Amino acid sequence: MLAPLLSLALAAMDPCAPVEPLPPDPAAAQAYRAVGDSELAAGARDSAAAAYREALARDPVDAASRAALARLCAARGEDPFQEGLRKLDAEDLAGAARAFEAAFAADGSAPAALLGGIARYELGDDASAERLLRAAEREPAHREEARFYLGLVALRAGDGTRAASLLEGAAANPALASPALDLARLARRDGRLVLSFLAESGWDSNVNLGPGGPEGVAPRSDGTASLSASALWRPRGARGPYLRAGGLWHELARLDAYDLGGVEAAAGWQLRAGNRGAAAEYEYAHRALGGEDYLGAHRLLASGWLRRGRAAVTGSYAVRFESYAGNWSPFSGVLQRAEARASLDATSRLRLGVAYAGARDAADEPVLSFWEHGPRAEARVLLGRARLGVDLGLTFRSYDAFDAALGARRRDTYLDGATFLEVDLADRWIARAGVVGRHALSNVDALSYDQVAPSVAIGYTLGR
Amino acid sequence: MSGVVVLQAAALAVLVAANAPAGGAESHLLAGAAHFRAERYDAALVEFRVAEKLGEPEAAGYAGAALVKLDRFEEAVETFETAGDGGLPLHDYYRALACYGARLYTCADRLLAGLGDRSGPRIAEQARAIRAELAPALAAAPSETTLAWYRARCQARRAEGRAALAAAYCREADALATRAGTTRAADPDGDVTPRNGG
Repeated sequence: MLAPLLSLALAAMDPCAPVEPLPPDPAAAQAYRAVGDSELAAGARDSAAAAYREALARDPVDAASRAALARLCAARGEDPFQEGLRKLDAEDLAGAARAFEAAFAADGSAPAALLGGIARYELGDDASAERLLRAAEREPAHREEARFYLGLVALRAGDGTRAASLLEGAAANPALASPALDLARLARRDGRLVLSFLAESGWDSNVNLGPGGPEGVAPRSDGTASLSASALWRPRGARGPYLRAGGLWHELARLDAYDLGGVEAAAGWQLRAGNRGAAAEYEYAHRALGGEDYLGAHRLLASGWLRRGRAAVTGSYAVRFESYAGNWSPFSGVLQRAEARASLDATSRLRLGVAYAGARDAADEPVLSFWEHGPRAEARVLLGRARLGVDLGLTFRSYDAFDAALGARRRDTYLDGATFLEVDLADRWIARAGVVGRHALSNVDALSYDQVAPSVAIGYTLGR
Repeated sequence: MSGVVVLQAAALAVLVAANAPAGGAESHLLAGAAHFRAERYDAALVEFRVAEKLGEPEAAGYAGAALVKLDRFEEAVETFETAGDGGLPLHDYYRALACYGARLYTCADRLLAGLGDRSGPRIAEQARAIRAELAPALAAAPSETTLAWYRARCQARRAEGRAALAAAYCREADALATRAGTTRAADPDGDVTPRNGG
């Protein structure tokens, strides 16, 4: 018993390895040969080879098994599909894509076209991916899987309407229905032109950041209402140039001096290649506070990301040239901020992220200049048509100079928290409820404060 | 090798030994069990198939388990269908996994529910985990598109001459349709419009 097992362990699946003879057993040999034939018919070459080898070991004159093994041996080194699978296992996506394309070219194999298309999609070669996936789509057994990835290709090209249609087609397969329908809903909010509107109402426990605060007054709470709108135009989809514009109005019920309005416009360029990408952007933003001119700022932003399996890392750097108006002008200067972030899809419905950021604000007035840094953590949970988010952050800020007015060189620590629940009401409508809060500690007691701001919102996003 | 695999293979070997048939089929069953234990599922399948051909009726169930391990779920479903109801908890567990892999979710749920405590604590725990994963999908009313998918697959497999597999897909469609009726009757205000216009 042991000898044949050891023999199988060493070379069971290799159709080219020599076959060690066993005591003749024609009946068993015939059974092995029949199993080999049925396994080969099922496309299972490894088990077919194992069966033929066993047949030949028990019946050395079994010409049929010998011939079948010879064919399997000859085909082994020439089977690009198997080679593609091996390269896929080894995470060699480019090699796998080439092998699957060769397999597809050799015999028009639909599985090869599907896997090749997926590999090309993952590599960011969308034109090749679409060609292969279209071929796979013609085979009914792979139609839904092919449409799922064709939908992702369309989504990346910024064609939200076509992506939604393809993803809905993929949802016919029950195993794909849930992700496909979720993505189809998102696709209707995506496209080369995306328009978004959000109306929000809430309450702010501490509008003036008391006790103390810059004005030395007690905390004052107030109701809030906000409207915001944005437009994004990406003529070449998720890759290439884009223009972005937006506006917001944040009004308080009683404390009109804190009403905030603003507009911004940006132009940028995104690069994507396989599992990595980068973007660069210029933005101009203008803000008014209490109905008066407050801030104009030019910002340059660069970011890059790399994804591997379920993990992703992101890095970003921004520099903003700020020009404050009127009494706020001492705050004018240059703000720089850099952040490194890592995220992990812990499950299909849970994403966890950690980040560390550092910033330098070089204001015109030295006592207002500071360094700050600190970690952040975030979690996002997908709950059917709803998304839950929780963010926590800790920031340590140290000002440059002794402030004679405060009688101290200011050092602050901020603990920030936020949570939200966002629900898809319809394809383009969402409802959102959330709360943000801050616990600020300072070595200047008058600058320590707590703030909580709950809000509810409804939003509409249209993608074309 | 994971503890669960060792446990399963050991159970398989014990079951084979306890039900040892006369003649050459026994040695092939034991060889298959040894390969299964060593996670050489291709070789295990070959031995179980040979045992089946040499007259061991229970070998089909073990072949089904090997096919599950090889991710050949539809063939596993076919094998279990033709093997009949052996009543062995290990067979039922692998049969449920075959159904799950072939997207026959009500079939998987029914088999896992029937395992009870017969299978031992570790498999029972895995069965509970899979049933918990299936529960939300089975609680929701299936769309007409989903039902059409199962019926189309039934017809396609029948056209290929795979009657047992086709029957499994048709039974799944019927079971889902029954669930859809039950769900909608219990929730008359629920959205019964197919989400994909199907």
